[in-house]
Amino acid sequence: MTMKALTANRLDDGEAVFWMGGRWVDRFAEAQLWGDQDPDADAAEAHAKSELTQVVDAYLIDVIESEGGYAPLSYRERVRAMGPTNKLEHGKQAEGGASIEALVHAHGAARSTGRVNLIKRK
Amino acid sequence: MYRYDEIDRAILTDRVAEFREQATRRLAGLITEDQFKPIRLMNGLYLQLHAYMLRIAIPYGALTSAKLRKLAYIARTYDKGYGHFTTRTNLQLHWIKLRDAPDILEHLAEVELHSIQTSGNCIRNLTADPHAGATADEVDDPRVWAEAIRQWSTFHPEFSFLPRKFKIAVTAAATDRAAIKVYDIGLRLHRAEDGELGFEVLVGGGLGRTPYLGSTIRKHLPTRHLLSYLQAILRVYNRAGRRDNAWKARIKILVSSLGAEEFARQVEEEWEREPRDGVDLPDEELARIRAAFAPQGFETLPPVSAAFQSAKANDRAFARFARHNVKPHKVPGYAIVDVSLKAPGETPGDCSADQMDVVADLAERFSHDEVRVSYEQNLILPHVKLDDVPQVYAELEAAGLATPNIGLISDIIACPGLDYCALANARAIPIAQDIAKRFADPERAEVVGELKIKISGCINACGHHHVGHIGILGVDKKGEEFYQLTLGGSGAEDAEVGKMLGPALPADKVADAVEQLVEVYMRERAEGERFLDTFRRTGMSPFKEAVYADAR
Ligand code: SF4
Repeated sequence: MTMKALTANRLDDGEAVFWMGGRWVDRFAEAQLWGDQDPDADAAEAHAKSELTQVVDAYLIDVIESEGGYAPLSYRERVRAMGPTNKLEHGKQAEGGASIEALVHAHGAARSTGRVNLIKRK
Repeated sequence: MYRYDEIDRAILTDRVAEFREQATRRLAGLITEDQFKPIRLMNGLYLQLHAYMLRIAIPYGALTSAKLRKLAYIARTYDKGYGHFTTRTNLQLHWIKLRDAPDILEHLAEVELHSIQTSGNCIRNLTADPHAGATADEVDDPRVWAEAIRQWSTFHPEFSFLPRKFKIAVTAAATDRAAIKVYDIGLRLHRAEDGELGFEVLVGGGLGRTPYLGSTIRKHLPTRHLLSYLQAILRVYNRAGRRDNAWKARIKILVSSLGAEEFARQVEEEWEREPRDGVDLPDEELARIRAAFAPQGFETLPPVSAAFQSAKANDRAFARFARHNVKPHKVPGYAIVDVSLKAPGETPGDCSADQMDVVADLAERFSHDEVRVSYEQNLILPHVKLDDVPQVYAELEAAGLATPNIGLISDIIACPGLDYCALANARAIPIAQDIAKRFADPERAEVVGELKIKISGCINACGHHHVGHIGILGVDKKGEEFYQLTLGGSGAEDAEVGKMLGPALPADKVADAVEQLVEVYMRERAEGERFLDTFRRTGMSPFKEAVYADAR
């Protein structure tokens, strides 16, 4: 079943972050997940878009099951949640563990899908 | 090397102070992201997948050891200890924090660097032949003109809100090392039959979604009229370029819709209409700029160096380096040394802070304090004595910077792609790494000969894929990374846009396909032919057959 999570980049350092019950966390594994139609997801997104000092570019992403854990559907979002694949010592993937493995082994969209309300970034 | 005057320095100091204030207000929530975003972009600060990215302008690719050391310091202090040189000869730092950005810009200003005009619809950072001032091949030093254009275009009020970004490249050599045909304006300095120095002016080149090669709109523009003529081109574009659709707003679309002849007519009309005196560079100012680039400190040396010759005779690896990375210099006894940022398995264009320090030291000790950045994502030590090349080689080798592959199959251009870039469709770096590893054996790479592979992670074409002998474009096909191959492109003086090979390939088939293409070339090639020459002679069929044989 597809779920949803809310992501953004933190304002002061640009780090990819995820919404967890009222605060932003660095690890995708800790992200709050909503059912596909849950109105709370949209409410959280609206809240994130309206505040000024925490994050920029908040948007919802599709999440799928992978190896008993979860992973963003879109490959682009998995790269954000892991780090660059050319430097495995950089980014969140550096700490390793089962939740990172679930991201590494997930399959799905490269970019165009999996970002809900796709925003144009130019 | 041109040194800033008081005006340049004051501009930078003011700009840093202004940005510090703006960033502080943003972090405090006093201005919104919508208000702040254009401001940070004007200072080269983009938001990418993992962090902010700072794009640092390196005007016409020219660095001193002090500048390069400062870049190393910034990479080490504020980033993860490396930077990425791009096809625009800029340096991108991929892990920057907004809160550090004002301090970084202040550090840059100390060495006359900045991030101005690395974003937005203005005249962007200039590029020029990275062998300028060193190659025997040139009729003049293009940096003189690049610097004049830099000063003229910096914060030019009339051209700060063009329909779209605007890029200019300059060369003065017959061999095009600046890809001038894929620029909005390409300038080629040459001498007319009567000996007068002038520019061939090309307009309307560009890659991206609709690739075009520039058209010559003037065969010979006397150099003294350069700035007034550029102004006329920019005015016609500013007036008539489309602003309704970002994909159709570049000057290439205007030139192609009007036709080059009509566009040229409008430029000439505009140029004749206005007095030129206030715009064209006064002779004294030109002389002042020219003096900054005057050749200095060259010794009178014999053209042949015994030390260089004996190193070649005694060390096969050095001999290979000399064949591919050492180029003739206009001064006898000197050489241009290419520093490869393409060690197989590494990220093309990436350079660690430690490596930057090594190159800066070598520049200071052996290359008149100068370093250049090429659009092919390598560095260059432009003025090395042949006697010193063995020593320079040994120190480069120790730092992992002596891969003897300039212009060969593993000297691949790749943009950051989906590993970093917010606009990407697919990754570019791992594809480059896969291919380079297949051809890591230098002997094999040398047998294959000149072969330029260029990879972009999306249609914006920062990796110049359209003009690769083999071009590779990442696409998102039904949610998977796929790669569209093109063949026969060239970004050099024989420029051409490549032709599509066939249906896009999945990521794990790209390196195989490149091997198959190389096999066909090796089978078909005639004496002395490069990959590109063979392709131009045989056409697509044998290549296409080889790659898609299994699919039929
Ligand atoms: S070509 Fe596309 S993916 Fe590559 S750097 Fe440019 S915008 Fe990013």
